[in-house]
Amino acid sequence: MKNIIAIDRLRLKFPGRDGLLFRDLSLSIAEGEKVLLLGPSGCGKSTLLQVMAGIIPHSVDVPMKAERLERPERWGYVFQDPDAQFCMPYADEEIAFALENRSVPRQEMPARIRALLDQVGLEIIPHTDIHTLSGGMKQRLALASVLALEPDVLFLDEPTALLDEEGTKAVWQTVKQVDRGKTVVIVEHKIDHVLDFVDRIVLLGRDGRIIADGEAKAVFSDYKDVIAAEGIWYPGVWDDYDRTARRRNRHQGEELLRLSCFRGFRGREAKIYVPEATVHAGEWIAVTGKNGAGKSTLLHALMQLIHTDGEYVLLGADIKQQHPLYRHIAFVFQNPEWQFVTHSVREELAYSLRLEGRPEAEIEETIARLLREFDLVEQQDQHPYQLSIGQKRRLSVAASIVAGQRLFLLDEPTFGQDAKNTFALLEMLEAHREQGAAIMMVTHDEQIVRRFATRRWVIEDGTLVRDEQLDIREPALAEGGAGR
Amino acid sequence: MKWEVRCRETWLHETNPSLKLIVLVVLFFAVLFIHNPNVLINVSLALFVLFCFGTGYPANVLFWLFLPFFLVFVSTASSMMMFGEGTTTWVRWGLIHITAESFWRGVHIGFRALALGLLGLIFSLTTRPVHLFYSLMQQLKLKPKYAYSFLAAVRLLPIMLEEFQTIRYALKVRGVPNKGGLSKVKRYAIPLLSQSIRRAQRIAVAMEAKRFSGSGRRTFYYEIGFGKYDVLFVALFAALMFVAYYAGVHYPYISISDVR
Repeated sequence: MKNIIAIDRLRLKFPGRDGLLFRDLSLSIAEGEKVLLLGPSGCGKSTLLQVMAGIIPHSVDVPMKAERLERPERWGYVFQDPDAQFCMPYADEEIAFALENRSVPRQEMPARIRALLDQVGLEIIPHTDIHTLSGGMKQRLALASVLALEPDVLFLDEPTALLDEEGTKAVWQTVKQVDRGKTVVIVEHKIDHVLDFVDRIVLLGRDGRIIADGEAKAVFSDYKDVIAAEGIWYPGVWDDYDRTARRRNRHQGEELLRLSCFRGFRGREAKIYVPEATVHAGEWIAVTGKNGAGKSTLLHALMQLIHTDGEYVLLGADIKQQHPLYRHIAFVFQNPEWQFVTHSVREELAYSLRLEGRPEAEIEETIARLLREFDLVEQQDQHPYQLSIGQKRRLSVAASIVAGQRLFLLDEPTFGQDAKNTFALLEMLEAHREQGAAIMMVTHDEQIVRRFATRRWVIEDGTLVRDEQLDIREPALAEGGAGR
Repeated sequence: MKWEVRCRETWLHETNPSLKLIVLVVLFFAVLFIHNPNVLINVSLALFVLFCFGTGYPANVLFWLFLPFFLVFVSTASSMMMFGEGTTTWVRWGLIHITAESFWRGVHIGFRALALGLLGLIFSLTTRPVHLFYSLMQQLKLKPKYAYSFLAAVRLLPIMLEEFQTIRYALKVRGVPNKGGLSKVKRYAIPLLSQSIRRAQRIAVAMEAKRFSGSGRRTFYYEIGFGKYDVLFVALFAALMFVAYYAGVHYPYISISDVR
């Protein structure tokens, strides 16, 4: 078959970094192939994808050289961040932008826009504000506007990294439907939904060299250890995790929190209502429900970030007497960067302790312990923004819980994290739970709920509608694959 | 977060944005050179009527939008009244010295500020940014490079607003004291800017990945031309100015015809 992409002896270097990212890398992709690029974060998968598309060096200036470089004429590129690939406010205008760039006559546009929206399964009126779409819908819109370019090759750069399970499924379903003989090159960390679609896997190593390149199933089974070690979400990753996980100790301690006829307001409207609920030490509560049901609002209300009424007793006293609240409740946001207030990892950990005026010796001791526990010793003098995604997440959790709070509120803390980081984070939380903290966590991931949660709260239309005790599912029982 | 207020589309929405912009900018300068308070009061009243009945927004929205401009009116007018110079003294109380001249000059300047504010409100309330930039590209040959960059930036605003709110919460959660000053500005500015700069960079790459070249031939999804409402628009404003001027000169409210 004819090659549509061919790279011969590519050398590429990022300014300000030592050494080459790629040294004499060669790769070719035939017409109609579905290729998955796998590798650890920072190995240059996305960079390679951008070189293939020509984004490097045309739009992003990175010094590079190749003996031969064959790139497709017509291509489309879907990026990771759903909020950073649109330039127009409405869905139809965004697709029209791509059509305009190709000088498609105006009279043809409305029909084409409708056809493209149908193709990606978006059942919205074309003139819909993009801001009101969910992440999964935004990514499908991105796909529609890329398809407007009538590409021969589709480049997909972790299109579902920032999506929940539902959105991820919808996006891959759509990709499979629209492909029709196109060449597709994918970079992805969550490969459960991709594995049966691709026919070839290229595995890159930490040093930017190709470790393996071949038929998808064969590479996946031959290099499963490497894939697992790099924290990639592969099918069965949870079963493998269960085999290594240790037995959990479950006990319920004293009551930490009690709610009764509790309401949280945004503006003048009650957005969350909890008729009756209690939380005990040693509990892990998974807060689940649809997008926009009010899960985050519930956490905001508990943290008193929004106005509330009704009964709210924390640690045996009315919430109004528990000021300042951050001494008792740790809160972790979805995006860790929002929470950083200092200029180094050490300072970040020390911040809350200094605020309380703890003695310096004790602070030093606590920091040293946390750095070890959260695996941040080597990064202790770096600026928080310079950390990797996983490190940022760990730091934001460590810095939040440093004051020894009893209750942790976490808003989708595993969002966008790779498998390795997710497991590490969950283990750390689990350790704190066993020591008597209570964890309340918004999550979409049933696997986490099933393995870690002791209770589930279901939020529907701004109301806590179900509060159920979950059966303890001991990881030891999962041995031999009997777990599911 | 609710960001956009729904409104009824009026004929003002239908006028050509470039034409509207030019007419209103001309009026803007015209208002600066009106020295007869009678004329200026007429102009302001006419613009106010248009603001209330021509923009298609519900009364409560109009009220809140108008309020800051009304405060500007009061503050500019009163400070000119109390501290301006003049010879016919009405009140003298310490530093405050109100004279007939300063009083009318204050009223005049207040109305001028009001008229300018109303012009801006009428324009921005009846023009979608997308239409404005499409029109600027088509009628005034603005380079697509600039037009689409502005539009991309407009898209970032509501996202930034949401992030601002979240950062506020995040800082509260960390127990950051809510004190003013430079450190507070830094706490908000650094995460907000770092996110926005990265996002802007990504959007730029995404736009080029969709074969946007910034110049060269392209078609337009919205073809914006001229219609009967544009004739009406120009005629209305010409009539408005003429009537305001004529009435101001021949049927004055006050006997002063030049405040200078």
